[in-house]
Amino acid sequence: MSKTLSRKHFLGLAGASVTAVALAACGGPSTDAGSTSAKALSAEDWSKVKPAPSISFMSSHPGKSRDTEQKLIEAFQAANPDIKVNLITGGSNYEEVAQKFQTSQAGSEVPDVVVASDVWWFRYAVSGAILPINALLKAVNVSSSDYKSGLIADYEYSDQLWAVPYARSTPLFYFNKDHFKAAGVPERAPKTWEEFAEWAPRIKSANASASGYQNAYQYPAIAGYAGWTLQNVLWGQGGGWSKEWEITANSSQSVAAMQWVQDSIVKNGWAGVSSKNAITDLQAGAISATISSSADLAATLKAAKEANMRIDVGFLPGGSAAASQVCPTGGSGLVIASKTSPERQLAAAKFVTFMTNAQSTSTLSAATGYMPVAEAADISAIVAQTPEFQTVVDQLKETRTQDFARTFLPGGDQELAKAATRIMNEKADVQATLTELKGTLEAIYNKDVKPKLKS
Amino acid sequence: MGRLDTSDAQTSRAPVHRPPLSIPKNRRWNRRTRRDAWVFAAFAAPNVLLILLFTYRPLVTNFYYSTLDWTLGAATATNVGLGNYVEFFTSPDASSVLGVTAIFTITTVGGAMILGLLVALALNQRLKGTTFARAVVFAPYVLSGVGVGLVWLFIFDPTYGVLSWILRTVGQASPQWVNDPKLALLMVIIVYVWKNLGYCAVVYLAGLQSVPAQLLEAASLDGASSLRRFTSVVLPLLSPTTFFLLITSLLSSLQAFDIIRIMTPSGNGTSTLIFDSYLQAFGSYNRAGYSAAISVVLFAGLLVMTAVQLRFVERKVHYS
Repeated sequence: MSKTLSRKHFLGLAGASVTAVALAACGGPSTDAGSTSAKALSAEDWSKVKPAPSISFMSSHPGKSRDTEQKLIEAFQAANPDIKVNLITGGSNYEEVAQKFQTSQAGSEVPDVVVASDVWWFRYAVSGAILPINALLKAVNVSSSDYKSGLIADYEYSDQLWAVPYARSTPLFYFNKDHFKAAGVPERAPKTWEEFAEWAPRIKSANASASGYQNAYQYPAIAGYAGWTLQNVLWGQGGGWSKEWEITANSSQSVAAMQWVQDSIVKNGWAGVSSKNAITDLQAGAISATISSSADLAATLKAAKEANMRIDVGFLPGGSAAASQVCPTGGSGLVIASKTSPERQLAAAKFVTFMTNAQSTSTLSAATGYMPVAEAADISAIVAQTPEFQTVVDQLKETRTQDFARTFLPGGDQELAKAATRIMNEKADVQATLTELKGTLEAIYNKDVKPKLKS
Repeated sequence: MGRLDTSDAQTSRAPVHRPPLSIPKNRRWNRRTRRDAWVFAAFAAPNVLLILLFTYRPLVTNFYYSTLDWTLGAATATNVGLGNYVEFFTSPDASSVLGVTAIFTITTVGGAMILGLLVALALNQRLKGTTFARAVVFAPYVLSGVGVGLVWLFIFDPTYGVLSWILRTVGQASPQWVNDPKLALLMVIIVYVWKNLGYCAVVYLAGLQSVPAQLLEAASLDGASSLRRFTSVVLPLLSPTTFFLLITSLLSSLQAFDIIRIMTPSGNGTSTLIFDSYLQAFGSYNRAGYSAAISVVLFAGLLVMTAVQLRFVERKVHYS
């Protein structure tokens, strides 16, 4: 079958191609200062909107929750037969999801609901990629008071609510009871880091002969949110990365805390830094204790049972300056994209409130170890099945909102990790490193955040 | 030396008998030219348009983005002119990024070429199993960089890795390959050289097999030792191959991404220009304009190397 290309057809094809080129060149940001993001509708406006028949949900399946998320989606579709939810795997962690969501802003199709970690939702809000959801919650008859107050408050900015809590976690102290017993120290989590520093040399020497044994304590991999877990040590000694927008990374307390961290590795030698995943090191028996997210609880206990190993969890240790309120919250919430139609946004609101209601959050908590985010969540069955989960619930009362330097500064977490690498792996001078860190964080704040903050 | 004067050339030759033409010369020429032009356009236009759309348009757009202070995903941006370039070249990170890029490029290119030449010399021997050995040596080059990175990451793992197990059996602790920035760079260099030496070996092998046997025999008769034959006969004859490999390996190393991304996702000690460009835009900074400026710096570097190739190298490379 041969068909000659007529002049008319050729010109048509060429014209279409040139148009495609021209249209494709239209992408990218506007440099017009007057451009604004989409405005949210009021509650009354939403009453006139009919939910879209189909929406998409982009997730990293936090805490290996893909099957659980799919189950919850099926339950949502059964309760809302007119709305279909397409689950999209956006990557294996929050950063990969963020990368895909932000890149999608340049195109015409964006996911309707996205899992956003504690460091990402604020950037989405500032850049206008997500919608404030106060009115939407009202439109689907959900109140912000239905959520744990300490968790929902994390998503307030500029008198608006930008997300609902979903897979919210808190770091826990995981330890190998067999190793502690062998060392003759109490089989519980230490109350303070000073107490653990007394135990640690004994723990290490008692278990050093075991094949592959490394350390009494393993700091989590620096690439995996070092700035998050180190807040515990900093707060315990009265320091911190920042106090709201004031950078305090080089305060005397912060320097003392990070010096203590460096000494535990270099001078005292009972601690190390994981190169990949400290909780896996614990499960392998290579270390005696570590700090990891509560999201690792279910999988860790299961692995320990299979390996006939006694692993337990406890509150994060306090420090010389503060014994309580030294546990940061973490994890992710659900946000709704602003670049979609009101119909899709309303369907998305129905979906996010379903995914975070009392029953759904209990299901997710039981499967993973994330904290229940709804006030009405009944966790008695979960605790009966997994008594260690009570620690997560109890620690929730002791949690503290994270330092702004980590959560709200673009690249802040990366800069904290760089400083931690220098101090913990390269034995750099602590004072000088933290002073340099302060300068870097302040520059980021002044350049990328301060001009965009709404009063 | 100018263009060939066709009228002079024709007059200097013997007269050619031409049949009478039934169509006027101008009309025949125009019709054929027009038809050829249409055929050319029909074949070339789709490719030209695709190249314009997917190569040149992003290139031009990237230049434009490099002049913006633009947060990835934001609908608006501010024009900062050359501000991103000034910031990059005056930042403390620039020297680190350029230094890592230089170390990575020089060691991977040099390592792959030297080891590739040694392997090619071994494979050039008339021994049993060389065909199988050639396939084995070349195989890593065609493997996926992601797969290679994951497997080697396991090998280097200080807790569960094969390397750590071997070291433990001789009473040594494994180095912290990922945590120590210097070791992390060494780790990705080792893996990159391992993956690419097969390519150099195969190209060098082709070069070695084209070395005339008579020259080597003549050198032997003159009493030249093996080393002398290699340095005075083989190596000079391999110079076109060496130049070719130098340029292709340089361009490839400067654009190396997959192995670095998989083995050191946060760029701890391994932030080359291209990886830093990725981290700035798609890591936690989201500085798309700044990232675009870094990629323009990389582009300029590649352009200079290509120009050097065209100016000094192309004439020395023999493709047949």
